[in-house]
Amino acid sequence: METIIKEDNGCTIVSFVGRLDTTSAPTTEKELKPLMDLTGAQVVIDCSRLTYISSSGLRIFITLQKHFMKTGGQMTVKSLLPEIKAIFDLTGFSNILMIM
Amino acid sequence: MQKELIFENKIEQIPRLEAFVEELSSELNLSFAFATSLNLALEEAVVNVIEYAYPKTEENDFSLSVMTVDESGELRFVLKDHGVPFNPLAVEEPDITLSAESRPVGGLGIMLVRKIMDSVEYKYESKENILIMTKKIN
Repeated sequence: METIIKEDNGCTIVSFVGRLDTTSAPTTEKELKPLMDLTGAQVVIDCSRLTYISSSGLRIFITLQKHFMKTGGQMTVKSLLPEIKAIFDLTGFSNILMIM
Repeated sequence: MQKELIFENKIEQIPRLEAFVEELSSELNLSFAFATSLNLALEEAVVNVIEYAYPKTEENDFSLSVMTVDESGELRFVLKDHGVPFNPLAVEEPDITLSAESRPVGGLGIMLVRKIMDSVEYKYESKENILIMTKKIN
């Protein structure tokens, strides 16, 4: 699992590459720590190369979403694979995240 | 077909499930979507055992077996541990209709097992927690 964070024109782009499971989630969470210091940020989570997610990975999405809502930012989830989108649907995450 | 995996109660064991599901997939010609959801439900059930069945400091193991039931065309998974008696099905399901602000961060694991599998049954027998999960192959 790899997490790539980039700045692009005032927007923070986070790309998840690989499998976000119970084993990899703690490291991913650490790598995302700097994002939790941002306020009013525009963040795009690029999931085009995210091939698997479990509840520990979903927990990361909701934690980020809560943070950006609270701090006047906005988070968009982009390019989910259909198999991963199905899991977001199953857990109601499709209704609480902005998915493009 | 019948297979069994023996796990140690360590989170580092989780990636073994990926190989296990891949093996099932190629033998039974499962779709990527089906295999992904199967992997997810099994991960959540196994993580539950690793987190709660045994004291963290103790080394223990538990088993996950799978067999195909030809008559019904389903997969039958049996997860067995000899840890503290714990019925995961007794845990209250999270309300997934809540807004992001009011939604708790956790509690999704067992709900995913229930939603993905066609049936989930728990029993405690001969000092073992036994979770039986079935899923029809489509």
